[in-house]
Amino acid sequence: MTTYTSDNPSLLDPEFMARLDQLSLVSRKIFAGKMRGERITKRRGESVEFADYRNYVMGDDLRFLDWNIYARLERLFIKLFLQEEDLHVSVLIDVSRSMNWGRPDKGLYARKIAAAIAYIGLINFDRVSLYGYANGLQYELAGVRGRRLMFKAIEFLTRLEYNGASNLAATGKQFAIRHPQPGIVLILSDFFEKGGYEDGLRMLLSRRYDLYAIQVLSPEEIEPDLVGDLKLTDVEDDDTAEVTVGRALLNRYKQNLRAYCEQFKEFCTRRGIAYLFTSTEVPFDQIVLSYFRRRGLLK
Amino acid sequence: MQFLAPSTIAIAAALSIPPLVALYFLKLKRNVRVVPSTLLWKRSVEDLHVNSPFQRLRSSLLLLLQLLVLVAGAIALGRPMFQTAQAQETTNVILIDNSASMAVVEADGRTRLDEAKEQAKRVVDNMSDEAQAMVIAFCDRATVESSFDSDKAALKRKIDSIEQTQSSSTLSEAISLAEAYAQNQVIGGEDLGSDVAPESAAPDASVFLFTDGRVEDTDEVAVEKFDVGRMRVVNVGKRMDNVAIVSMDARRRYEQPEILEVTALVQNFDAEPRNFDAVLYVDGQTVDVQSVSLASGLPSEGAPDAASGRAPVGSIRTVAFDNIEFGGSGTVEVALRIDDALSTDNRAWTIIPPPRRVSVLLVYDANPFFNPLDATLRVLPIELKTMTPDQYEAADDKVLTDGRRSAFDVVVFDQHSTDRLSQGSYLFFGGTPQIDGVTAEGIVDDEVIFNWDETHPVLRHVAVEAVEVFQWRRLRLPPEAVSIVDGASSPVLAYLARGPSQYLIGAFGLIVKDKDGDFRYNTYWVHNADFIVFTYNAIQFLASNIATSGTMVARPGQPVTVPVPADADTVVIRRPDGSTDKVAAPSRQTLQYARTRHVGVYEVSPAVPGHGVFAVNLFNPTESRIEPVPALTLGAGEVSTLAASIQVNKPAWPYILIALLAVLVLEWVVYNQRVFV
Repeated sequence: MTTYTSDNPSLLDPEFMARLDQLSLVSRKIFAGKMRGERITKRRGESVEFADYRNYVMGDDLRFLDWNIYARLERLFIKLFLQEEDLHVSVLIDVSRSMNWGRPDKGLYARKIAAAIAYIGLINFDRVSLYGYANGLQYELAGVRGRRLMFKAIEFLTRLEYNGASNLAATGKQFAIRHPQPGIVLILSDFFEKGGYEDGLRMLLSRRYDLYAIQVLSPEEIEPDLVGDLKLTDVEDDDTAEVTVGRALLNRYKQNLRAYCEQFKEFCTRRGIAYLFTSTEVPFDQIVLSYFRRRGLLK
Repeated sequence: MQFLAPSTIAIAAALSIPPLVALYFLKLKRNVRVVPSTLLWKRSVEDLHVNSPFQRLRSSLLLLLQLLVLVAGAIALGRPMFQTAQAQETTNVILIDNSASMAVVEADGRTRLDEAKEQAKRVVDNMSDEAQAMVIAFCDRATVESSFDSDKAALKRKIDSIEQTQSSSTLSEAISLAEAYAQNQVIGGEDLGSDVAPESAAPDASVFLFTDGRVEDTDEVAVEKFDVGRMRVVNVGKRMDNVAIVSMDARRRYEQPEILEVTALVQNFDAEPRNFDAVLYVDGQTVDVQSVSLASGLPSEGAPDAASGRAPVGSIRTVAFDNIEFGGSGTVEVALRIDDALSTDNRAWTIIPPPRRVSVLLVYDANPFFNPLDATLRVLPIELKTMTPDQYEAADDKVLTDGRRSAFDVVVFDQHSTDRLSQGSYLFFGGTPQIDGVTAEGIVDDEVIFNWDETHPVLRHVAVEAVEVFQWRRLRLPPEAVSIVDGASSPVLAYLARGPSQYLIGAFGLIVKDKDGDFRYNTYWVHNADFIVFTYNAIQFLASNIATSGTMVARPGQPVTVPVPADADTVVIRRPDGSTDKVAAPSRQTLQYARTRHVGVYEVSPAVPGHGVFAVNLFNPTESRIEPVPALTLGAGEVSTLAASIQVNKPAWPYILIALLAVLVLEWVVYNQRVFV
């Protein structure tokens, strides 16, 4: 049995971190956060940035009356200011056994992306939650904030272990229940769900999260190097498939893979989920620095 | 399509197909590989199953293809042949003509014999493994090269070993031989106690006759056992351009023995007229050259001699060389300077003995009467010696004999019977040789000469009808004696050859005593010139056979009687091709040498003087007429001639192997695309 894991994963190097310092996470939706943060929200609040006026109604805080207008017009207007709030960023990392596979390793690749996102979130005082899921949420680092907690995030990501089969439906349900507040949710997985990815994503959509589905596949999955009479064993559930791999079957496999990804992308696009496909061959920094920026996740 | 080894197919199929099918019942052992997800693989496999219209067939298609490969292999092992040749019996008789005309070099540079061998080998190739064939080569006699055999390689070797001869071709012996062998084969093949009587067991054989059709005895061939319908003549050869020396004569003038006259009869068998030189060699030296022009050898249409089979006028010509003065002995050769298809008949040889006179001993009673024999012999160009009967009987052996042979070429007895007859030639008048079977009883005096053989050499230019003989002795002769002149009840003149000796016996004396004891002529013939001619003929006839000629000339294949010196145990004969034969000489002081199948000069050593050389010449217009006979008519009927040459059953297994390879490639392709879970 071949496993394609790297034993000494170095999730982020300082040089790369320095480049991430310039970046911040952007949500395509503006959410009302729990705590005041560094982001402008829809809610009018108490920042120094003026937003609008409105008529005074009974009960309004007198501190926000615009006395200058009252002096000129003798009417009471309330000054409205933009409120800045914090942003919830959740990263769901698939830690099912199938992620512990490939060269480069899919799991490590996913964790590196998670680390980068977490780092960017933390340095911008966003609320960052990291989860490892397989058959439900299994590892959790919830609601960390601030650059100083970056070490925690790294430690959490390093600690993740692969086990079980992935079940996105159960995971989505669990996550949605526990996270009523909106925010950015990134899912890093190969999305090879025997039970289907649709239910899980629908659960998450119900909470109006800004969803990013990042499909990570290894080169061996995209261009399998199998040939001959084989008994293929599924690393997650030990399911077997007896195949005779020839040109026709390989072509059919690639065709199916393409169709599967297209279908997944279609599903995501229709529901406003940002879909991102990557092979672990693509340099990880390129994904973060270039691809995420193009897709508007980072600026 | 026929199979040379049909049983092999069944064996090969039985050995290979069940294991293959059994293998298919065994589960394929697969390598285990771990993948992150079997999701897409299963889906792909299902897709392929759904998309392939023959997906049910697909898994069994491999088995089918592999079965096909095995079946093809088994069939190839059965050595299938494309049936281009005619079907053959299990018993085949191959008769190959190796006579002189088969030496013709055809346009492709091969001789007719080569071509015949080639085609005969094709017949062998076409035989199934169970079939057997015998090979007979025939020329003037038939030789069984191989009796019935089914070993093809051996048969082909035997066919290859057939040697070209320069003999004439006769077929009847070959057919009889083949029939006898085939008959034995049938009888031998019967189970013991079978009801089939040997006589009725007709051999079921195919007879292949490879010849150019120039067979001398086609009328005499009796096909008794074989089915003529099953006989096939394979005609070989196409060329017909040949000019031949059909006979040759070299003789000394009787009156001037040192003068040699050489003539040769040459004939053109070609359709085109031919011009060429005929060269005369004596002992290898060119002596004379004559230009010869011969007309076309094919009778022109409408010519009167077209149907008679006689050679057209001008196509046959006697070449007379200038007389040469040649005192010694030697070999005379005539050679035609011409490039034609058959070279064997372009040369002819004859052996010239040194000039010498015939020695004759006359044994007669010297009586007061004029003896016509003595007088006649004295005018002939011979060496004459005379003796009385008493002297003859009393003479020392050394006088009369040379070894066991007579010291004289001819001994003439007048009115004397004797048993002192060594090997030699004898002429009796009124006496008899006292040898077995020859007796003379009583006198016939009331008959006339009744019949005579005017073609006999001794009666040449003799008017027997004018001869009147008053009385003769009633001769009783053995059956082999030839009567030349007959009376009503007994021969008057007869010839008897016995072993190396020959006797010309005249039953009448020339001068007889009458009742009164007076001598009188028994015939007035002695006064006639005819008597001199007769005596001349008789001496020449008796002397030429052994003594005078010495020109021993034979046809190819004919045995030659070679005199050997009395003290020689073995004789070495050097053949024309340079090889030598060592032959043991029997005590009779002559030997029969039969290996004369090749034309040319044969040298004998040690030899009796004058008998050291003999020549073998083809002199056979049948063989020299090399134009193949399109249809061969044997005594029993016309034998079908195969229009084309024998077709070889082409082996089909290479094609089957190619098909097998193709199926194998297809199998590989299917294997690489096949999918099943």
